[in-house]
Amino acid sequence: MPSPPKLRVIGRSEVLPRPVLEQAAADLPFDIEFELIDSVKGLQRVVSSPETFDVYHQWHTVDLIWTARAVQAIDLSRIDHADLIRGQALGRQGDGRTMGSVFNQLFLQPSGALGSTPTDRIVMLPLLHGVDAFAYLPSVIREFDDGTPNSWGWLLDPRLAGRVAIMSDPVLGMIEAALAVEAAEGIRIADVGNLSVEEIDIIIDILLRRKKLGHFKTIWGNYRECARSMQRGVVLQSMFSPALAMLRSQGIPVVSAVPREGYRGWHVDLCISSAAKGARLDAAYAYLNWWMNGKGGAVTTRQGYYFAQPELVRPHLSAAEWDYWYAGKPAATALSDPLGQPAIAPGEIREGGSYFERMSRVRVWNAFMDEHTYLVRRWREFLEA
Amino acid sequence: MARAPSDGSKPYYQIVREVLSANVANGNLPIGTRLLTTAVADRLGVSRPPVKRALELLAADGVVTALSSQGYVVGAATGETSPERTNLHRLQLDLPPELGDNLGQARWERIFEAVEAEILNSIPFGTFQISESLIGEHFDVSRTVVRDVLSRLDARGLIVKDRTSHWIAGPLSARMLDDAHEIRRLIEPGALASAMPLLAEGFLSEGRSTVASALARSAALSVEEVDAIELELHVDTLDALRNRRLAGAVRLQQVSLVINRLFATYIGLHDEIEMLREHALVYDHMLLGDADGTIAAMRHHLDADHARSRARLKVLSVFDAAEIAPYLIRIH
Repeated sequence: MPSPPKLRVIGRSEVLPRPVLEQAAADLPFDIEFELIDSVKGLQRVVSSPETFDVYHQWHTVDLIWTARAVQAIDLSRIDHADLIRGQALGRQGDGRTMGSVFNQLFLQPSGALGSTPTDRIVMLPLLHGVDAFAYLPSVIREFDDGTPNSWGWLLDPRLAGRVAIMSDPVLGMIEAALAVEAAEGIRIADVGNLSVEEIDIIIDILLRRKKLGHFKTIWGNYRECARSMQRGVVLQSMFSPALAMLRSQGIPVVSAVPREGYRGWHVDLCISSAAKGARLDAAYAYLNWWMNGKGGAVTTRQGYYFAQPELVRPHLSAAEWDYWYAGKPAATALSDPLGQPAIAPGEIREGGSYFERMSRVRVWNAFMDEHTYLVRRWREFLEA
Repeated sequence: MARAPSDGSKPYYQIVREVLSANVANGNLPIGTRLLTTAVADRLGVSRPPVKRALELLAADGVVTALSSQGYVVGAATGETSPERTNLHRLQLDLPPELGDNLGQARWERIFEAVEAEILNSIPFGTFQISESLIGEHFDVSRTVVRDVLSRLDARGLIVKDRTSHWIAGPLSARMLDDAHEIRRLIEPGALASAMPLLAEGFLSEGRSTVASALARSAALSVEEVDAIELELHVDTLDALRNRRLAGAVRLQQVSLVINRLFATYIGLHDEIEMLREHALVYDHMLLGDADGTIAAMRHHLDADHARSRARLKVLSVFDAAEIAPYLIRIH
């Protein structure tokens, strides 16, 4: 009998912490080669060379990789708990805001287009989601009057000049910059998730001016750099929740903001390469179904990510973990991060509250905008300035 | 504009070199013919610098020999016979399209299309500075000609001058595609309907059967085949139009053809079935002589194609790599 093929998985480092890689490798009967690529190179590979991977953990790129036919439709009859996905889709119909970004273009329609009407085939398996905001050290609060609500405008506040960082990713960075410009400069932006050429110009021009004034101490690329920048003098910056967990486990009292303008929502999902077939395709489905057992989602819960079907991860979490991460209750015991380091002290409450409270405050979803080409080129101008 | 840069980007001295070499080889330029730079340039309708360079290279190849007095002579100079002073205009020469029928065509026009194609092929990938001096070197033309080309590209809306007076092209925005589409859908269907009665016999049935056989094929089409099908309906049909200004106006708005070709080149061909079916529909109306139906079918095709090229531009936006012309310098 030929040995089963090695499954090749591409994802970002945030989504695939070490315990997830180890657990999947231990549970599945074939070898898995994880490639963690945090830059746009991962997406370039996926789009142009589908034959070099089997599974891709996509985030806000599904329309793009579908246009390129780099991924194939997933047969729901081969997915465990598929009824939960269908049920969610039906339950959310007509509600474009809550999780709209996940379900609006999930199902392959008979016309060949993607849409929200449930069918038997999906373009990606919904996996993880969450909300992001900026984070700050407690000292920042003293710069503002008592009771000033958190605002994205703080990213551009002159009082913090030289002590602020933002992220280098053009999609997420631009959305946060748009929220900041809107709040700080009083400029009304029609759709933060789909900026026009003129809006991009306004935002980049403001960022360029601030950068030349020395407003930004650094610009970070992944969660490790994000954590490091706060260890090195940044007091307020864009934040990924794994970095938050990392900093807290090191005893740095970072506060995750609850911006009055709302959160930036994101989701990460599983896609199967259009080139996968035969034994490789079977292995890809086995990997997808491994995630549907909830073990992986339990690990990523400990760094603040929500699983697409929370009821599947619940059996793998302690009651205290569930209550803190999903129910928004004070931590009954000390809680650990994915690597087992203590991260949450007893009595702490998650900023923003419960799963439903936090997810219902999404202002904008990560998205490749219509003007992405233009956006990226101007963003690069900002990065290189 | 929609054609891939091929010979259009070949330096002129190279074209001249090949043309002279070929015409010597087949006897159109007999051994002993005297070749003066000015006379050759006049005969070929090009400027002197590329001819001068081509003759130097041909001399190095041994095809011509430099004369001590002036100019060159075809073959080896024996010194015994004085080279013949021939009126080059009386010689039948085999000339490629780049040189052939362009008597009276301004120099800028020949370079314009090549530079325009290169710019369109580059700007989906970024912002580029255009070097006047490198264009001049590349095509062997004077600054005056280069400036003429650039000012026309400026008028065309493809390039702008930045604050430091450098010419800048790109990036290509979805807005540019939208704007081009908005104009195109207003004029191209009508232009096609006007061209319809003027098309050569058999043109439509040939085009229709090309589409039909492409649809019937199970194997994937090549980029070149798809390109040919696109050009047949969107470019070749316009050749029949008497109103050249209308044809020119339509051609200026066909940016999506470039996007589609770049996508096919960098990502691969997918889903051409819909494009083919839309083309078939247009041809069917034209074959029936149904102008209104042609207009409606063409407009539907352009709208659908616009949605496709917009999505494809997004995919292209994640790439940096593009083979770019030497006179374009990436700045972002």
